[in-house]
Amino acid sequence: MDEILNRFYEVAADPYKSVEGWKRKTGKKVIGVFPMWIPEEIIHAADILPAVIWRGNEPVTEGHAHLPPFNCGLTRSFVDDAVRGKLDFMDGMVFYRMCLQAVVLRFIIERHAQPQPTYLEHLYLPPVFDRSPCLKEFLIEELETLQRGVEGLSGKEVTVDSLNRSIKIYNENRGLLRRLYQLRRAKPGLLKARDILVMVHSSMLMPKEEHSELLKGILGDLEKKEPPTLVKGAKRVIVSGCLCQTPSLDLLGLIEDSGMAIIDDDLYIGSRYFAIDTDVNGNPIEALADRYMKDEPVCPTKGEWQKNWGDYLIDMVKRNNADGVISLLVKYCPPHLCWYPAVREKLAEAGIPHILIEVEHEVTSLEPVKTRLASFVEIMTGRA
Amino acid sequence: MEQKEYKLNMLHTTMGMGPMVDQHWAELRTAKQRGEKVAWAAGPGFILPYAMKMKCHFMAGYSSYCAGRRCGDQVIEAAESGGDLVDTCSYHKLHTGMFYAIKKGIPIKEEVVLPMPDLMISARLCPEQSHYGEALHQRFGVRVIGIDHPIPRKKEDFPKIEEFVTREHKEILIPVLEEICGKPFDYDELRRILSVLKETALIRNECWEFFKKKPTPWTLWDYGVSLAPVIYMMGKPEGVTYYQKLKAELAERAAKNIPALSPDGEKYRLMWDGWLPWAFLGRIIRKLVRYGALPICGRYPWEFFPHPEAFDPEAEDIIYDLVKQWYSGQEILWHDGPEGAVELNGKLIEEYSIDGIIFFTSKTCRLWMGQQDMMTAIERKYGVPGIIIEGDMVDSRMISDAQIDTRLQALFERIDGIRKRQPF
Ligand code: SF4
Ligand code: SF4
Repeated sequence: MDEILNRFYEVAADPYKSVEGWKRKTGKKVIGVFPMWIPEEIIHAADILPAVIWRGNEPVTEGHAHLPPFNCGLTRSFVDDAVRGKLDFMDGMVFYRMCLQAVVLRFIIERHAQPQPTYLEHLYLPPVFDRSPCLKEFLIEELETLQRGVEGLSGKEVTVDSLNRSIKIYNENRGLLRRLYQLRRAKPGLLKARDILVMVHSSMLMPKEEHSELLKGILGDLEKKEPPTLVKGAKRVIVSGCLCQTPSLDLLGLIEDSGMAIIDDDLYIGSRYFAIDTDVNGNPIEALADRYMKDEPVCPTKGEWQKNWGDYLIDMVKRNNADGVISLLVKYCPPHLCWYPAVREKLAEAGIPHILIEVEHEVTSLEPVKTRLASFVEIMTGRA
Repeated sequence: MEQKEYKLNMLHTTMGMGPMVDQHWAELRTAKQRGEKVAWAAGPGFILPYAMKMKCHFMAGYSSYCAGRRCGDQVIEAAESGGDLVDTCSYHKLHTGMFYAIKKGIPIKEEVVLPMPDLMISARLCPEQSHYGEALHQRFGVRVIGIDHPIPRKKEDFPKIEEFVTREHKEILIPVLEEICGKPFDYDELRRILSVLKETALIRNECWEFFKKKPTPWTLWDYGVSLAPVIYMMGKPEGVTYYQKLKAELAERAAKNIPALSPDGEKYRLMWDGWLPWAFLGRIIRKLVRYGALPICGRYPWEFFPHPEAFDPEAEDIIYDLVKQWYSGQEILWHDGPEGAVELNGKLIEEYSIDGIIFFTSKTCRLWMGQQDMMTAIERKYGVPGIIIEGDMVDSRMISDAQIDTRLQALFERIDGIRKRQPF
């Protein structure tokens, strides 16, 4: 089990090395895809590895010349990596307008990434305000654009069969990750939150087939294991937010060390990534469009307002019998900033204890957070 | 060296805009009392509710009005007391703040109070505009219609985007307007509004020509306060009259050689790239005037808004015609993206003989992304230097005099340096 876990850590700790290493070993191509809704299956079906773009650990240096300091950490870190040549192993990059900060990325990459990725795409994935046919038809056109683009890059045709096969491979991986989360719910403390996060994050960076095999191995071991007894009185919490970005592992550790057990999460690099499957049917592009058009999990970047993100969280709290919610808000992330008051109001109405922690790319010290987490535990304890 | 004393020559016509704008917002404020329906709108689609005789509020227009009336900080404070966070877009907060203030009875200056809408049209020109719709729907129960406006990344994409946006208007927005107003969509009224708008904009364009004159008889700030008739008060004949008067005054100044800046006109002709700093127009122009500098043109008031002169009010498919001018017609939304912005800024620099650029970047709005790159590209290609000023259009906490002063000084020193090297 430790061996498999170490492998996941190895991949996620240094994606530059692991993704590039995979490319060198296999001689295949890699496309960096921007989080959160680009259907990776289409890229996979062209025999290319879609690697979800990540936030590096280093402080931004040259990137400052291209983006202001009041951009989110992911965009700044990505641009910094790209202009410093750290992403030169990517044969392609795909963006879309999930937020205003993503709009300029292609422009910057086109001018400054050396060497230029062969394939650079900016898709117009529409929001899902309305489920009217014009949105879905436009979306399908965009997915077909992606299909043509990746076919051009790989020289391989994406057929109905190959796409359905990729969809099944992705669905299987999602199913396994859901099994992992069920296990965490059933046996809290069995794995640390950082382990879980690394397991999900590595899925975004590795071929799904390989990741699923490793997952099967570790799940078999975990299902047999008994969890350590949780610290007496540990509070069961849900961690939410952190759109697009890997939360700091140290912060997750701090939450657990402060007398809380993270019982489930509502993070993109977490349960959001694998929450829903794609149907397998005769028209896989349409099935992928249908997956995108779904209103679960409620996504603040998709223009979904028929449903409230707060209600989605409340359901999660109830399902998990949780004591509270911790919102991790990426500093300068407009979709989260704008949605946050509605979420806060909903949680307050439902009487669910809640705390907001703003996270920044350049973390200086977790000390002030520690104090706030301690008082949050007291609040939850006071209610019990 | 003797320091020249510069002084702004104010235009008379622009003084007439205040009362017109006040009347517009007063009519909106009292619309419900007259049984009229009210729409709030972000993005360009609000002309459609106008055609249905709804009273209509336009997000950016209201924001400039509210900030200009020095009420921005007050409404933002109300928004933050209701849970909005400091880094959220100020325009967004002016609206959630208004809702929150009304709901909680927080006093807001009467002249900027808004009536609650029957419908909110959220045109997703920027994703924030859809968040604003989400917030109003989720937190205050407003009915919201969303229209996506993709920002083109390449001109070849215009046709597919135009088709999509036209369908959104016809299939999503118009049926809802018909339902709310209980009548079929009024295409005749839309055509009427567009023809008045076109007439207004054609005269506005003649006024723009005066910016090319050296010294200039007016400033970008004068145009900034004249935006309402072409931007959100469209269809009103008063708009035509206003621009006729403005044109006459400019022509007179040009004939008599009266510059906008006395004694003998501007020393530096500037382009302003970014939102106009509505709450700080006076504060900033005073700083510029001290150096003999004037803002002459800028991407936002030029290309960001409809160029109604490109409409054909008689076009068979009037909705398509409307949508087309945002894309292939006048490339307005193309200039909204970084690729198109570089193209437009270059054109403006040449047409208006620009010496330097101020890139005004808002800490709460990322629409103007790419300005650092644009600045380098422009300097390289046209030899025109630029500076970036970080601030906000409304929120006074985000603007720093010290930063503005140092950067302005650096800009003028660089222009002087360039001039010394090119004495002709
Ligand atoms: S973290 Fe937020 S601001 Fe950053 S790219 Fe994602 S959605 Fe946009
Ligand atoms: S973020 Fe900028 S473009 Fe978007 S609504 Fe706010 S002010 Fe407008």
